[in-house]
Amino acid sequence: MGRYDFRPLRVRQTAKALFDTKRNDALPQWYQVLGDIPPSEALSRPVQRTPRVRGMRKPSKMFQPLPIAYPEDKLRSEFFGDHPWELARPRLVVEDSGNDAKAFDWSKIVQAGKQLDGESVIQHQLWLMKNKSYSKLRAYDQARSEFYHHRHLEDVRRRVAKEEALHVGAYFGKGPLEVGMELEDKAWESWKRWAERQIDEEQSMRAQMFSGPQEGDEAAVDQYEDPLDELAVSEPAALQGPPGRI
Amino acid sequence: MIIRGAAARQCRHAVSRNSFRPLRRSLSSEVNTADSSTQDNIKQLQSLEAQLNAQLARPAPSARVPNTIAEQYHQYKQQQKIFGKLGTHITPHYRPHTLLNHPPSPADVTLELLLASEAHQGHATSIWNPANARYIHGIRQGVHIISLEVTAAHLRRAAKIVQEVSRRAGMVLFVGTRDGQDRAVIRAAELAKGYHLFERWIPGSITNGQQILGRCRTKVVNEKDETVPGFEEQLDERPVLRPDLVVCLNPLENYVLLHECALNNIPTIGVIDTNADPTWVTYPIPANDDSIRCIQVIAGVLGRAGEAGQKMRLDAAAKGEITYTPAKGLVMPGEEEDSKKTCPAVDAEIQENLLEDEGLEDAGEPSAKLDEAASLEGNERIKVVS
Repeated sequence: MGRYDFRPLRVRQTAKALFDTKRNDALPQWYQVLGDIPPSEALSRPVQRTPRVRGMRKPSKMFQPLPIAYPEDKLRSEFFGDHPWELARPRLVVEDSGNDAKAFDWSKIVQAGKQLDGESVIQHQLWLMKNKSYSKLRAYDQARSEFYHHRHLEDVRRRVAKEEALHVGAYFGKGPLEVGMELEDKAWESWKRWAERQIDEEQSMRAQMFSGPQEGDEAAVDQYEDPLDELAVSEPAALQGPPGRI
Repeated sequence: MIIRGAAARQCRHAVSRNSFRPLRRSLSSEVNTADSSTQDNIKQLQSLEAQLNAQLARPAPSARVPNTIAEQYHQYKQQQKIFGKLGTHITPHYRPHTLLNHPPSPADVTLELLLASEAHQGHATSIWNPANARYIHGIRQGVHIISLEVTAAHLRRAAKIVQEVSRRAGMVLFVGTRDGQDRAVIRAAELAKGYHLFERWIPGSITNGQQILGRCRTKVVNEKDETVPGFEEQLDERPVLRPDLVVCLNPLENYVLLHECALNNIPTIGVIDTNADPTWVTYPIPANDDSIRCIQVIAGVLGRAGEAGQKMRLDAAAKGEITYTPAKGLVMPGEEEDSKKTCPAVDAEIQENLLEDEGLEDAGEPSAKLDEAASLEGNERIKVVS
C-alpha cells in the first residue's frame, strides 16, 4: 500500500535483514524480546456489527462503530426536557476508583458520594420500575417529588446560611437582579443617546428639504419674544419720539 | 479531651507543669509593710528557684526529651500510629499525587482503573482515524469510546516489552512533551533507570546524533551499574548512543521523533488516541492522550515494569549472570591492546550464543570458553552507558 509506512512495525525484520547482509555486525539486544512479544495486529478491520443494522448495506458503513445506547437515555431526555435548567448545574465527573457506582443503592434518591442530580432521579425511577414494578409515569412522579423535596431543603439551607452570614457580618457582591438592572440601565442610556442622534439627524434632513419657517424656527422665534418683553424699558413719554417715527 | 490529655503527657516539656505553679499570695486583710512584703517576695523567689533546680536535676520519666532528630522522628511516628486514625473515617478516594509517587504496576491495571482515569474518552467521530477502528467500542455523545479491554491488553504488552528491554540493560527513553506530562515522564524514567524528555524533541537527535548529542557525557559501567574509570579516551572515539526503546506519550506532536526511530530501526511504544495513526509506533496503546490522569497511569505502569526489569537484571548480576551483550571494541585500561583485542569480542560472541542457542549439544564447551576468557580478561563485563 502506497500511503502506509510500516517501518515501525517491521523493526525486527529489518534488524534481521541488516544482520544477515552484514550491514550490522550484531543483532540488537531487543531482537529476542520483540520475537517473544510481537506487536499486535495493525489496520485490521473490526468485526462486523451484530445484530446487522437495518439499512446499512454499504460496505463502508457495515463495519462502522455503533452508537452506545442505554434504556436510561429515554428517561434522561424526558427529565432534562422537563427541567432544562438542571443542565445548567455543574456536574462532577471525577471518579475515585471506577467502582463508585457499585456502592449505590437506588432505593433511595440520595446517595453518599454522589451529588443529587437529574441522574439520581433517573436511576431511582428505573429502580422503582424494576423492583417495585411501578409504571414509568408513576415512578417518574415519585422520583421527581422526592427530588423536589431535597432541592427545596437545599434552597432552605442556602437561604438560612446567607442570613446567618449576613448576621455575622459577611457581605456579598451584586445579586442577579442588581446586575440585571444595571445592564438594563446601560442599555437604556445607550438607546437614549442613539434616539437623540436620530432625532437631530431627522430634523436637519427636514430642514434641508423645505425652505420657509419651520416648526423649530417658530419655536426659536418664540424664545426670543419673552426676553424682548423683559428687556423692554419703560421710557418716559418725553423721550418717546413722535408717533410714526420708527 | 483524651487527645489533649494524652498529647500533653507525650509532649516535650523541659519541666513538668504541675510543679511549676507560681505560689499565689493568699488573700490577707492585713496590710503588710514594705519590708515584710519584699521579704515575702524574696522568699517566694527562693522557693521557686529551689523547686526549679530540683526539677532540672531529676529528669521526668514520662516526658523524656528525644535528643536526636532520629529519636524525634521515631517518637512522632509512634504518636501517629496511636492517634493518627482518630477522628473521621475518610473513605478511599482519588488522590492525584499517588499516581506519581506510588504509581500502579502492570498487575494493578484493571478496567475500573482505566475507566476512572478516563482512558476510554476518544475524540469526535468526525476526526477519527479509521485505522483505529478495531480499538473503538462505540459512539457516545458524538465521541468515540475506546474499548478498555483493548487498552488493558495493549498496555500489558507494552509493559512487558519495557520490562524485558530493561532487563537486558537497554536504553529506554520516555517522551512526553505536552503540558502536565513532565512529572509523569520524569517519574517513569526514574523508576526504569531510563531517560526522559519533556521539552521539544530536537529534530535530528538520532539521524544527526553525532552533531547534536555528540558532546554528551558517557561512561562505562559494569554489570552491577558501578562506574568503571579509565575509559575516557576510548569513549571519545565511540559513536553516539541511541535509545533501544522509545516510549512516546503524545505521538501526534512527536511525529518527527517517531519517524527518526523508524528510520534507525528503533522500536517505539505510543499512546494512540482515536485521531492518531497507529502505524507510527511499533506497540500502540489505544488510550486517551488528552487526560493527564490517564497519561500518569500509563507512564506509571511502564515505569514500574522498567523497575521490575532493572531489579531482575541487578539480581542476576549479583549472582554473576549477565543478561545483556557487553559493549564491543572496549579495551580494559592499563592492559596491552594486542593481547586483549580478541577477548572482549570472543566473550561477547560467547554471550550471544549462550543467550540465543536453546539446545546445546555440549553444554560444557561454551562455559569452558567463557571461563577461559574470564581468566584472561578479568571478571568485569563492561557496557557503555551515557
